[in-house]
Amino acid sequence: MLDVALNRRSLLKVGVLAVGGLTLPNLLKARAASGSTANRKSVILVWAAGGPSHIDMYDLKPNAPAEVRGEYKPIPTNVTGVQIGEHLPLQAKMFDKLSVVRSAYHTNAGHGMGSQWMQTGYQATIEVNDNIFPSTGSVVAKLKGANEPGLPAYVNLPRKASFAGAAYLGASYNPFTPDASPNEAAFQVKNLKMPSRVSTERLEARKKLVSDIDTIRRDIDAKGDIAGLDTFYRDAMEMVTNTKAQNAFDVNKEPVKLRDAYGRNDLGQSCLLARRLVESGVTFVTVQAGGGWDTHSNNFTELKRKLLPQYDAAVAALVQDLHDRGLSDDVLVMSMGEFGRTPKINKDAGRDHWPGAMSVLYAGGGLKMGQMIGTTDSTASYPTSKPYTPGCVLSTMYHCLGVDHTHVFHDDAKRPLPVLSEGDPIKELVG
Amino acid sequence: MHIANLSPRRGFLFAAVALLAFAPDAFGAITCSIKTVELPDAFSGQQLLVSDNGIDATRDATYTTSDPKVARVDAKGYVTPTGDGSALIQITRGADKLEVPVKVNGFGLQARGVDFRTEVMPLLSKHGCNAGGCHGKQSGQNGFKLSLFGFDTQFDYEAIAKEARGRRLFPGNPDQSLFLLKAAGKVPHGGGKRLPAESSDYAVVRRWIAVGAPASAPDTPKVTKLRVSPSDAVLRAGQQQQLLVVAEYSDGTTRDVTRQAEFFSNLDVVAAVDSDAGVKAGKESGEAAIMARHMGFVAVFRAIVPHGPPLASIPDFKPNNKVDELAVAKWKKLGLKPSPTCDDLTFIRRITVDVCGRLPTAAEVKTFTEDKTADKRAKLIDKLLDSPDYAAYFAMKWGAILRNSKLAGADEAAVAFHHWLKDKIARNRPYDEFVRGVVAAAGEWQDAPAINWLWQNRDDQLHQVTADVAQIFLGTRLQCAKCHHHPYERWGQADYYGLAGFFTRLGRKNFGQPPPYYASATPTTGEKDPTTGKTPEPKFLDGPLGKFTADEDPRHALVDWMTEPENPFFAKALVNRYWGHFLGRGLVAEVDDLRETNPASNPELLTFLASDFVKHKFDVKRTIRTILNSKVYQLSAEPTDDNKHDRQNFARYYARRMPAEVFLDAVNFSCGVKGGFSGVSANARAVDLPHEGFGSYFLDTFDRPKRVTVCECERSTGATLGQVLLLANSEEMESKIADGNGRVAKFFKEKKSASEMVDELYLTALSRPPTIAERKRLSEYIDSAKDKQRAVEDVLWAILNTREFMFNH
Repeated sequence: MLDVALNRRSLLKVGVLAVGGLTLPNLLKARAASGSTANRKSVILVWAAGGPSHIDMYDLKPNAPAEVRGEYKPIPTNVTGVQIGEHLPLQAKMFDKLSVVRSAYHTNAGHGMGSQWMQTGYQATIEVNDNIFPSTGSVVAKLKGANEPGLPAYVNLPRKASFAGAAYLGASYNPFTPDASPNEAAFQVKNLKMPSRVSTERLEARKKLVSDIDTIRRDIDAKGDIAGLDTFYRDAMEMVTNTKAQNAFDVNKEPVKLRDAYGRNDLGQSCLLARRLVESGVTFVTVQAGGGWDTHSNNFTELKRKLLPQYDAAVAALVQDLHDRGLSDDVLVMSMGEFGRTPKINKDAGRDHWPGAMSVLYAGGGLKMGQMIGTTDSTASYPTSKPYTPGCVLSTMYHCLGVDHTHVFHDDAKRPLPVLSEGDPIKELVG
Repeated sequence: MHIANLSPRRGFLFAAVALLAFAPDAFGAITCSIKTVELPDAFSGQQLLVSDNGIDATRDATYTTSDPKVARVDAKGYVTPTGDGSALIQITRGADKLEVPVKVNGFGLQARGVDFRTEVMPLLSKHGCNAGGCHGKQSGQNGFKLSLFGFDTQFDYEAIAKEARGRRLFPGNPDQSLFLLKAAGKVPHGGGKRLPAESSDYAVVRRWIAVGAPASAPDTPKVTKLRVSPSDAVLRAGQQQQLLVVAEYSDGTTRDVTRQAEFFSNLDVVAAVDSDAGVKAGKESGEAAIMARHMGFVAVFRAIVPHGPPLASIPDFKPNNKVDELAVAKWKKLGLKPSPTCDDLTFIRRITVDVCGRLPTAAEVKTFTEDKTADKRAKLIDKLLDSPDYAAYFAMKWGAILRNSKLAGADEAAVAFHHWLKDKIARNRPYDEFVRGVVAAAGEWQDAPAINWLWQNRDDQLHQVTADVAQIFLGTRLQCAKCHHHPYERWGQADYYGLAGFFTRLGRKNFGQPPPYYASATPTTGEKDPTTGKTPEPKFLDGPLGKFTADEDPRHALVDWMTEPENPFFAKALVNRYWGHFLGRGLVAEVDDLRETNPASNPELLTFLASDFVKHKFDVKRTIRTILNSKVYQLSAEPTDDNKHDRQNFARYYARRMPAEVFLDAVNFSCGVKGGFSGVSANARAVDLPHEGFGSYFLDTFDRPKRVTVCECERSTGATLGQVLLLANSEEMESKIADGNGRVAKFFKEKKSASEMVDELYLTALSRPPTIAERKRLSEYIDSAKDKQRAVEDVLWAILNTREFMFNH
């Protein structure tokens, strides 16, 4: 019966070429999705580069030996039976609006490879400093685009995150970034505001000049790059001269009280700006949760002093703000890093790299909230139930956006590579 | 089988098609390439190829059988048996009729088993069961796993017949076998209905199960070759061509596998193919390679959809050299007329960018245009190739290919390797020597800086080095074959691990960044060849095993083999890479993806360049000269009506954006400012930087390679918003344009007139004087401005934001 809907040729081709790819039901789903009216779903990924300590944040082990359990105590949340770390008190009060997966894991303890794995769903075989596989934001930019024309689809705040690039999808799908922190008083997006020596009249005069002299034919290349550039020029000039993009990036328009609630730091203000951006029509924002998560030494002091208070406030304010604006179902907030940290505390009172278990936070996006999902063993070393891979973690996100994670791209070697090579959405979250 | 008599016809068929492709459709006598059909068993079939005046008419004819109890024939001319005996297939087209006798003689042999390997396995591939998205993926699907693309007969047999305690098959009642119930969609199956119960493919599997699902006997004939007929054809838009695929077996028999093979087109818009081997030309002109795949073997049909009627000659184009002659031969066949030769101004800009990675100076432009000698282009080519800028630019290019990075503490080694590359290139050392210096690099980095290439592969030394050598120096992307038989090639795991075998004794010390490398007497890797379970043994690609004593470094033998004159990969890979550099697209695209199923757009030209390169002892500059002195390289980028759809055959120069480093240097040069990189000489340009570790927002925004892969495709040509904002609306650009010591500021110190300033800006940035209209428009803009210096800055801004400036054309 299904054979009728699609010709046999396309089925065969799909069947044979799609490594990890399109089964028939998925294909139909993808077709249906591409034909439907665009949804306004978006994602804010809070990326804690370095590896946040799951055992001190969401998966405390108060009964473990002292060299494992560490200094912090669990506290109750507003969801009965669910406890999290004492240095996340704001999130504890709103846990009904959050869900955490304790049983995410992978097997690579290197920053580069771990980051690539968690941000792309693919395991690289070599340690490199840039994407071999496209980051999720780039995939979303390519498959979904911006929710609002005139705005970029994919933004990194405050700067480009490592392994947030487009790889074989092409430079057009790299993140757009202000390259400046919204926490700075003079914050502005790099190159979005006119340079100091240029006025609107001067820019207009220059545009007129260039249109008078740039008469070279647009069909002299073989790939359509020249015509493509013309489009980017139109978009860029619109962003420079029009208020839409400038307004979206103007975090100074937010009320002082709200800015304070998010926290007057890079992470807090980036989260606030991320909310402005998705509200305006950006589809995917990766917020860098600052440096310092790689706590090889003084883990407890560092977390308690700055990292956790800033992180707790920023995430709690963001989730609350989205709820207050009625955006919680449309915007998914996620938080994770490249791995967790070693259960055993080292001689420098630090914890080292540990991919065997890690916690991933989800909020909103139409997912089921108020859950603590999965369990780990007595030292938070490995999942004991519901082990979830990076592919599961990310496909849940794609599910929220309505992006088909079985869609197949081709890399430069013409290998067919689906958006994700493994993993289906986490059942407890998607229902 | 009467296939053998087809092959001598192929050349004829092609020639006839080529001549008649544009002749009006005339009904003549139809012919069938198959004179007699013999069907030896119930599962055989025969595709007929019917042509009319040499043009394929297989799907335009009607077919009837004289005896449906012996043979049936479908509308596409495919004959299948229904019982023993003889019959006639009648073929009708208009008034023409033709009869082909059919003999079926093995149908009644019910005892005949179906062979698992040759008859069941191909169906698993054809219906996508063993694809990577389904049961072929690493983890299988719902507990049922097959080998990816079906390259492991034994594994698949065990999976189907034995696993799950044999519950997948039910010989007593084959239709109730879980395997068939799922495949036919009679019980829920995630993959849907793949093998309808009424299909002939279902019948094959059913019969195999009914006789007890036997494994293939060890002496079952294996496929040794696949042939597709015809091998190529010239097609008009919309025209069809039926293909016929024949497998040759190890026992000398042949069999029609047209309906068992899979087909893929590399360019659907030019020619698409259906699952019954019917090719149809699309709307775009050009060439498509149609791949037929069966049992790990591939064969290619090339469809040529010409741009116009074939040309007897191209009178306006006078070949400069052999490159031109071979290009003309191809253009004539395609009905493609080249654009005219570019003018001198275009030429000097183009070639200076392509050879030296920089814009020509105003003085160079002037000297060249004033030179009236006939061979001035050839002289300029020589001059640029002998300049240090050529070495600097190509050292940068090779630095990216060889991933010369400062990662892992290799800052100093990366600088040394950069200079090593530049030195080899400047002295035009033979390419074989260059490659030996990299592939067989040994010692400390101070003496052999090329070991930084090995060091950058340190995390996955054996596999990364193997894959890199194959891709960079042999133009072969072998990495697929690490885990499974290459789906588009004949390479399997044995080939991959054979190449890896040359690197299993590559050792490194445990001090230094990079540490010293050496050839160890014993294996330094724990990696095993999965086909043998042992440390990979060296085997030359398509060649014999290599045997080495413990004190030999097998890498030298590998380089010896690569650089043998007969090596089919080495020279082609290099000349194709350089052709791609200068012409904007490889003869094979991508430049390092040479394989049977990705044919060169002009194979004769590729062969000529490769053999010339070998003949002249791997003299790279000679190859470059040959390419650059050709008229093909010197064509205008402006398309004509005759070649506007050409994207593969170089009937015009394909304009392209300058690489990030070249572009930044061009901007700085036009503005009269320096690179300003920290940690290198103030005069260092972006192309001079030894590795990727020099921070530059400009370079990163324009996609400078991070040197993480060997693929030149790491440089994307796709534009981004960030690039445009940087060029058109940034403090960075403003500060260059209005630099106190920059070009515009100097103009005012020198008190130049508006038209003098406009002229110099044009000569510098665009390598040409302005047109009269441009000079007038811009001079008036300057003269009428209150602040003239700012007005000249605006003019420079406008020039730098033209596509003419950004592109090499």
